Amino acid sequence: MRFKTDLRNIRTFSKLVAALNSLEKIAWVRLDDDTVRFTVIPDTGSQVWASLSVDLIFDSYHIQSAEPNNTINLELPLGPLQRALKSAAGSNQANLRLTKRDGIPMLSMTIHAMTKDGAADARERGAPYGGGGHGYGANPDDPFGEDIFQQESLELIMKREREKVITQDIPVRVLHPDTVETIMQPKVREPDVHIQLPPLLQLKAISDRFTKLAMTTSSSSGRGGASQNPKLELSANMFGSLRLRLAAESLDITSVWDGLENPELDPSQLTIPIDEHPSTRFKQAGPDTWATVRVDGKDWSRVLSVGRLEGRVIACFADDHALILYVYVPHHDDSSAEDVVTVSSITVLFN
Amino acid sequence: MVLGFTLSEEGVAILHDALACMFKFSDDVCLEAKKDKLILTTLNISKSAYICFTFAASRFFSRYHFEGNSQYRDRFFCQLYVRSLLSVFRARQCGGESTGRESVIERCEVAIEDGPGKKSRLIARVTCRNGITASHSLAFEPKTPTHAKFDKTEATNHWAISSRTLRQLMDHFGPGIELLDINTDDDTRVVNFTCFTEKVQRRGANSNEAVLKKPLHTNIAVEMDEFDDVQVEDKLHIIISVKDFRAILQHAQMISGDLTACYSSPGRPMKLSYNSDGVLCEFILMTVGEEDAISQKHKTGRANSAVANAGRQELDSGARRASSVVNESQARNTQAKAPAKVQTKTQAQPQAQGSPRNSAAQQKTPPRPRQPGFDIRPQPNPPASARSTRSDSLFVGQVDDDQQWEPLDEEEEEEAQNDRLEWNSNNEPKPSTLRISSYANPTIQTNASEPDQPMSGLEPTQRLSQVRRFGLFSS
Repeated sequence: MRFKTDLRNIRTFSKLVAALNSLEKIAWVRLDDDTVRFTVIPDTGSQVWASLSVDLIFDSYHIQSAEPNNTINLELPLGPLQRALKSAAGSNQANLRLTKRDGIPMLSMTIHAMTKDGAADARERGAPYGGGGHGYGANPDDPFGEDIFQQESLELIMKREREKVITQDIPVRVLHPDTVETIMQPKVREPDVHIQLPPLLQLKAISDRFTKLAMTTSSSSGRGGASQNPKLELSANMFGSLRLRLAAESLDITSVWDGLENPELDPSQLTIPIDEHPSTRFKQAGPDTWATVRVDGKDWSRVLSVGRLEGRVIACFADDHALILYVYVPHHDDSSAEDVVTVSSITVLFN
Repeated sequence: MVLGFTLSEEGVAILHDALACMFKFSDDVCLEAKKDKLILTTLNISKSAYICFTFAASRFFSRYHFEGNSQYRDRFFCQLYVRSLLSVFRARQCGGESTGRESVIERCEVAIEDGPGKKSRLIARVTCRNGITASHSLAFEPKTPTHAKFDKTEATNHWAISSRTLRQLMDHFGPGIELLDINTDDDTRVVNFTCFTEKVQRRGANSNEAVLKKPLHTNIAVEMDEFDDVQVEDKLHIIISVKDFRAILQHAQMISGDLTACYSSPGRPMKLSYNSDGVLCEFILMTVGEEDAISQKHKTGRANSAVANAGRQELDSGARRASSVVNESQARNTQAKAPAKVQTKTQAQPQAQGSPRNSAAQQKTPPRPRQPGFDIRPQPNPPASARSTRSDSLFVGQVDDDQQWEPLDEEEEEEAQNDRLEWNSNNEPKPSTLRISSYANPTIQTNASEPDQPMSGLEPTQRLSQVRRFGLFSS
């Protein structure tokens, strides 16, 4: 079993891991010849199934195992991975490989980095001071003690900046194929409405505000409500509208977005004729027909943190059943692929 | 007056930094004044770290005058409470709500009075740019300072490197680590900084799962060429506490310049030092013993022993043995004076921070709420002001601010992030399913583990005996 790769798009990788980490601390990673899949399945709340094409985050990718397609299944803690990626951000070069240390499997990240040792940031401090500091070190010729207070020249500090090699070992478990065999991406019926979400930062700001309001009102009306997270109601139609609603005992507030896009379905990707697709029926029924799901406010907030990936997000509503978000991650610093949106998709499922 | 000196604005800031650094190790500080220098020293509670700042009389101070008296002819010494000194030298302290330069300290005059018929007081007069003068009167306890011994001739291994480079390297170390192993490799011409922990994982956890709880293991290899004056025995592993090292570097990077390390062998003290104009900073740290180091290398069941043993290692206090006689007579003197002193103080300063004598007792009871330890990562949360702005506006600018993506329950998340990753140890055998999701809601877990946590007041969060096990650490 071998896995070794250089890292690229570390920023994107890091944001993905951060987004996953807000939902669950341990992820299942499935690597094979073509794709990298990150899966998180929290006890409660939304799952993420993120499939990335290998070349989005990896370069010079080598994988080898006894399984078909050279598949390797790993279980890894996202916190340490995120931490390691943070250390790799801004590095000259970083690679990742599966190895063993003291008999324990490790995902070892080797980072070649420099330190930013500028003279400019000498004596950074919060307190506003500086200048006029006479008296302190006013007399450099003064003989004090045994020559211990030597003056340092700047060149001495700045000299010989070398590359440092940082090794970050992330503990992993290598999973047997039998272990993961039973874990399936949940099957959800064809969605009734699919719509491109407004900028997630905006949606998140408003959702969070609604959730906070709900928590405030429920805590004032008794402590019982605090244990249960507030539910938000999300609805969409096939006419470009998205509605976010909070209905509580004492208040009922709604935010509506209009003019959003309902992307066309690709008939070749469908298992049923497009005319029979539920979204067609919802379209025919007119703009007053909404597909609605209820989501946990806090969970929704965690899910919306995928927005940091700056991808295009399509929400698929199965009325009163499930909400699936597809996040399309753009290839950032691939100059050859001009503005190509990748097939990399992150699926977020709500129950 | 026994001693009088004046600090410039910058001098006040530097003194404050030094005290803030000491505060990470101990509650008390010993002040020692001589004709040509002022020395601040402290020893942490487990006696595994000793800190000494020396301020050159003629270079650090705008004015320095050591007078002495009949009792203190050549040197004056006393012990003070760090916290009270910190509040005196805190910048911007007389400014009220205005934060402009007006409120900045312009200078600070300090006088120490002691002697027969006089109150023993340290009087600090702080003059701010806005014309306000604040006077502080602090009581102190006469106490002979303890100096840790460090044998320079024995410490044959040494190196020096830019403190800021070293400080930046520490950024790569993740949370949950305790020990730093510094070792060299002559073949590859590198010095390795390796961080690891030997904390026993929570019992009962499935061994497989425990693997994932291990914190990030980080090694940083720095080419020897980047060091000055490297002379280290090949393959020598020297292990110190990460927390102490971080606290030192946090201060060192402000002073800037090179940090020099001298050490001999495992289980013997290591000295770290750096200096700037008129200030010499020295730290003597006890290193983890050799047998322990070996047991750490070859993972044994008694993983914790190294840490525990390390705690038992204490620095030699030269002063204590040499001057024990002096100490005793001194103590007798003190005994006579002290009770009255403590009383008058409480009257004079009802809200004084407690005498050094009390603070010693305090250390034995609940550990003081530590200053937030040096955070190597950027703040996980935005400052309060930023957060409130965010929640007050519905629409946020499309800035690339990662914080905005943090989930709503930030407090919860923060806890989870600051803590080392701890998985819920779920023992239910579910071989067919992945154990991805054994992490229960962190809040529930916290509540369950501390059911009888009192609701109000600052209660100790940990038994001191628990902390003592990791004797090397001062917290």
